[in-house]
Amino acid sequence: MSSLEVRGISKSFGGVKAIDDFSFDVGQHAIVGIIGPNGAGKTTAFNLLTGVYALDAGRVILDGKELTGLPQHEIARAGMGRTFQNIRVFRGLNVLENVMTAADPYSDYNLLDVCFYSSRKRSREQAVRELSRNYLKIVGLEGCEEERPESLPYGLQRKLELARALATNPKVLLLDEPAAGLNPSEVRAFIDLIRTIHSQFEFSIIIIEHRLEVIMSLSSKIFVLNFGKLLASGTPAEIVSNKAVTVAYLGEEDTACSI
Amino acid sequence: MEYLASTLTFTGISLIGVLGAYLVTGLTGLFSFGQAAFLAVGAYVSAILFKNFGLPLPVAAVAAMITGLIAGVIVGVPTVRLRRDYISLVTFGFGEAIIAVLNNSTSITGGATGLSGVPQYTTFPLVLVSVLVCLAIVISYKNSKYGRQCLALRSDELAARSMGINVERLKLMTFLMASVMTSFAGVLFVFYTTYVEPGAFGWVVSAEWTIIVFVGGINSLTGAVVATVLLTGLPEFLRFASEWRIAIYCIIVLLILNFRPSGMFGQYEISLRSIKQLFGKGA
Repeated sequence: MSSLEVRGISKSFGGVKAIDDFSFDVGQHAIVGIIGPNGAGKTTAFNLLTGVYALDAGRVILDGKELTGLPQHEIARAGMGRTFQNIRVFRGLNVLENVMTAADPYSDYNLLDVCFYSSRKRSREQAVRELSRNYLKIVGLEGCEEERPESLPYGLQRKLELARALATNPKVLLLDEPAAGLNPSEVRAFIDLIRTIHSQFEFSIIIIEHRLEVIMSLSSKIFVLNFGKLLASGTPAEIVSNKAVTVAYLGEEDTACSI
Repeated sequence: MEYLASTLTFTGISLIGVLGAYLVTGLTGLFSFGQAAFLAVGAYVSAILFKNFGLPLPVAAVAAMITGLIAGVIVGVPTVRLRRDYISLVTFGFGEAIIAVLNNSTSITGGATGLSGVPQYTTFPLVLVSVLVCLAIVISYKNSKYGRQCLALRSDELAARSMGINVERLKLMTFLMASVMTSFAGVLFVFYTTYVEPGAFGWVVSAEWTIIVFVGGINSLTGAVVATVLLTGLPEFLRFASEWRIAIYCIIVLLILNFRPSGMFGQYEISLRSIKQLFGKGA
């Protein structure tokens, strides 16, 4: 039983086929990686899965539920959680509130509760607050609750995005270059963090990453995109030895250069 | 004494309007230049129902608020889907359209000469209680999931959607809250002045409320309240300067925004905890 089924998704921008007939499966509780040269369409693929862009063709099915064509917020609530390549924390809210915002759509009080300061509002708010503190603890942001997110160092902002994505209660977690901008020791700590989180929760993870260290050590299966098309897929060992992948990344052993 | 009471009453009524502008502009980041039109809707509907149809005041007041809600739906449903800059245009157009309707339907509204002979029922204590109730609701809204989600979508709509927030619905809900609240302020207004004319509800009033929100601090409810008291009171205190008072008013606003671009209070909110912290530092 597969958790996420992606069938032939395509997207063109003008004459450019950003994603062309891309299909893949993500199993229950798996970690898979998507790699590819710059401009291969990796982030576009994420934007298609999460409904930021409408699909030109293809289907997305999560745990048997058809997500194709749903608005972005419904796809998110159906269990598609994500982080962003260029960090997008909410300014004007503190760190804890950033995480609470992601858990809020599940909080079941209404406008009347707000107007009359009902005890239901108080208890639900308290519950969301505790839940969100817990997510911050998991990613190691304890003690930063009251900070302004934009004043946090880059690495911690990435962690905040991760905590916020966890709070959306995802079935599949999409991480878009989570290790970008981290130094080597932070990268190793980040890999451990992803492992810990994955073992604590039931969701699957899809990672886009340029650092092969991250992809190779975490994912059980890798999909390689090139010019919007699936170039190869397989285990990390298979991908490393795949000729077509090496060519896409490094170019052909060029005879023209040997003059 | 009477002069002070009347200044305070007008300040209180403006404050309710500013609270509406705060919800829409400050919290949600939608620039509305038609908020004062809801004041007109509240004032005219309640006054006409009371005077011409003999409805009891509470019924007329509720009817006025419901009319404000309906007007909010008519303007809000199509506009929340638009980009932010277009929202300003549409609300601006709506506001001016309401004024034009009031000016031209002379048989019902009295046209440009206005509607007079409304009894004075609004008293300062009533306004005070109304302000406190509205303030309590807005504080609770800001400190609820809705308030957080409004701030989130103001900061980054795309990320907000990815967190499962229904952006359009939330914008509409906040806009409607402001509409109803401002219509209510309109009821208080007409039953205090006893006379209304369309000119009193132009975009200048809406712009003034938005300016007040910015001067106070875009994120700060405390700032909105303090700025309302200062800026609606200010022209009264500047009366001695006669024709120069508007210029002085503008200079003060410009100075504040120049030296404190995020407003007087920025994101600061007064609360029991912040007061304790203040005294903690002093000790």
